[in-house]
Amino acid sequence: MARFVLERLLGMVLTLFLVSIMVYFIMELPPGDYADRFAFRKYSGTGVTVTEAMIEEIRRDLGLDRPAYLRYFDWISGIVLRGDFGMAYSFLTPVTNVLGDKVWLTLGLLFATLLITYAVSIPIGIYAAVRRGSAADYGLTVFSYLGLALPNFLLALIMLYCANRWFGASVGGLFSPQFENAPWSLAKVWDLVKHLWLPAFVLAWSAVAYQLQTVRATMSDELNKLSVVAARARGVPETRLLVKYPARLAINPVVSTIGFDVNRIFSELPIVAAVLGLTELGDLLLKAYLDLDMNVAGAILLMLTTIIVVMNFVSDLLLGWLDPRIRMGA
Amino acid sequence: MDRLLSVENLSISFRTDEGPITPVQGVSFGVDRGRTLGIVGESGSGKSVSTKALMRLLPGSASLSPETRMRYRAKNGETVAIETLKPRDRALRRLRGGEIGMIFQEPMASFSPVYSIGNQMIETIRLHRGLGGRAARDLAVEMLAKVGISSPETRVDQYPHEMSGGMRQRAMIALALSAGPALLIADEPTTALDVTIQAQVLDLMRDLQRDLGMAMIFITHDLGVIAQIADEVAVMYLGTIVERGPTREVIRRPLHPYTRGLLEAIPAIDRLDARLKPVPGDIPSPSQRPSGCPFRTRCPEAVPGLCDRAAPRETAVGEGRAVRCHLHDAARAAA
Repeated sequence: MARFVLERLLGMVLTLFLVSIMVYFIMELPPGDYADRFAFRKYSGTGVTVTEAMIEEIRRDLGLDRPAYLRYFDWISGIVLRGDFGMAYSFLTPVTNVLGDKVWLTLGLLFATLLITYAVSIPIGIYAAVRRGSAADYGLTVFSYLGLALPNFLLALIMLYCANRWFGASVGGLFSPQFENAPWSLAKVWDLVKHLWLPAFVLAWSAVAYQLQTVRATMSDELNKLSVVAARARGVPETRLLVKYPARLAINPVVSTIGFDVNRIFSELPIVAAVLGLTELGDLLLKAYLDLDMNVAGAILLMLTTIIVVMNFVSDLLLGWLDPRIRMGA
Repeated sequence: MDRLLSVENLSISFRTDEGPITPVQGVSFGVDRGRTLGIVGESGSGKSVSTKALMRLLPGSASLSPETRMRYRAKNGETVAIETLKPRDRALRRLRGGEIGMIFQEPMASFSPVYSIGNQMIETIRLHRGLGGRAARDLAVEMLAKVGISSPETRVDQYPHEMSGGMRQRAMIALALSAGPALLIADEPTTALDVTIQAQVLDLMRDLQRDLGMAMIFITHDLGVIAQIADEVAVMYLGTIVERGPTREVIRRPLHPYTRGLLEAIPAIDRLDARLKPVPGDIPSPSQRPSGCPFRTRCPEAVPGLCDRAAPRETAVGEGRAVRCHLHDAARAAA
C-alpha cells in the first residue's frame, strides 16, 4: 500500500509540474500583454499619444520584458515557496486578495455537487439494475436521458423560477444581502448552505444522469457474475449479498471517474454561475481573460487544474483502498 | 437405502425472446446419503440447469413445471419440499450452503476478487455454523489445511488473484465444505484445471467425501472422470436422462447408443493408432427439439418410422438400471 501511495503521489507531483507549465503557456497565448492594456487605461481620454517607448517602459516596470521561462520560474517559485500568486494588475493588489474567499466557496460548491451526485446516482443506479426491466427502471432511464439532454442553464432558469414562485426563496448568489460582507459566523454558514443547494443541484444534474447510467450498467454486469451466484449458493441473505458482492464492485467505475466529474462540473460552472448570479471563480476567470490580467487568470486556472489533479489522486487512492488487485499491482 | 435427495419429474422452462424453451424435461434422479451420483452430458444437455434448480438459483425467466417434486431430507430430520420454498425463506437460506454446498467450474470467478479467501469463508461459517470471531477463523484455517493448502494461516488472508488455479479450486472446496453440507454439488469442478491438478483435486474430493460422509452430485462431460468418482451415473441428453445405473455396469455394458458414443469418444493411451470416434453431429438447440427420441438425429442406429414418432419411455433393466431407447424396448419385446 505504501508503495502504491508513493507511486501515485510522485505521479501527481509530476502532473502538477507539467500542468503549471501548460497553464503559463496558455496565459501567454492571447496577443498582447497587460502593458498594452495598462497604457490604454492610464492614458485613455487624456489626449496623450502613447508611444512604443512608453509601453516598453511599463512593460519593464511590470517585469514583462524578461524571457518567458524566467518569468515562469519566478511565478511558480513564488507560489510554491511563499504562496504568492503575483500581482493582480487590474486591481493593483496581490492576486490572493482578489481571490480571497472565492476559492473556498468554489470548493464548497464543488464538494456539495459531488456529494449530491454520488448520494443520488449510486443507490438509484443499483436499484434500477436490481429491478431491471421494471416500470421504475424505465422511468429512471427516461429521467436520466432527460438529465443528459437538458442544458444546465435552462434547468437553472427553471429552478430559479420555481424556487421563487412557490417557495419564495431568494436563490440568486451565494449569500443573502445582509451576510454578503459580514464576517464568518454560524448564521452565515447556514445562509450559505441555504443558497448552495440550488446551484449544487443544477450542477449535479447531468453528473447524476451520467453516473446513474454507469452504475446501472456495471451493476447489471456484476449481478450476473458467478461470484454472486456462488455467494447466493452459500446462503448469504439477499440484501447483504447485493451490497457486499455486486454493489461494492459496481461503484469502482464511479470512483475512478471522480476526476472527470470534477472536470465536468468546472466546465459547466461559469454559465450556471452567470445565470444564478454567483460570484465564484468562473466569473472572475472570464473577466481576467478579457482584461489580459494574466496573474489572476493563471492563479485560477492553476487552482482549478490542481483541484482536478488532486481529486484524481484521491480517486486513485480510493480505488486502491476498494480493490486489492489495484492496490497490489496485480 | 437412506435417500438424501430425490428429484422427480423435474421440468424447467425459460421465457426467451424466441418464445419458451424447455431445456430440462421430466428428469428424475436421487442421491443416497454418503454416495456419489455422476451426471454426464455434453454442454447444453441441461445438467447444470438441473442442479441450479435444486438450489433455486435459476433466474427469474425460468419456471418449474407443476409436476416437479424435489424432496430433501435435512440434517434435523425434516423433509424439505424444495420446489415450494419462497426466495426469501429462511429454510432456503439454510438449504443453500448449510445443507447443500456447491462448487463451480471456474474457481477464479466463484470468489469475489475484492475480499480475501478467509473473509468469504468466515462469512459462510458465521451463517451456517453459528461461530464467530476467533473460532470462525480457526475453522477456516483448519478447512484450508484439510484441502491440502500449505501454510493455511497465511493463505487465509490472501486474495483469490494471489493463488494458482489448482489452489483456488481447493480453496473453493474448503469454502463450500466450511458450512458443513450433507450434499455437495460439484459442477465440472476439474474441467478448467490442468490434467495433473485434475487428478489431485479428484483424489482430494474422494478422500474428503469418505472422511466427512458427505453425498455428492458430480457433473461432468467426461465419462472418464465419472468412472473414477461416481457410484452411480445418469447420462443426460437434451434435457432428459437417457440412461442410468451403477457406474461400473453402465461403463462395462452401455445400453443406450449415446452412452456407447461417449465411451468410444474417450481417447485411450493403449489405442494410440486408432482414430478418435466422436459422437457425430451437434446437440440440437432446446428450441428445435427433434420429434420422437431427442437423440435420433445423431443416432447411428435410429430406425425411421419408430424413433421419429414417439419419445421412448424409461425402461427398468435390472437392479437400479434404466434406459430410454426404442431399440432396447424392441430387443426386449423380441426376446
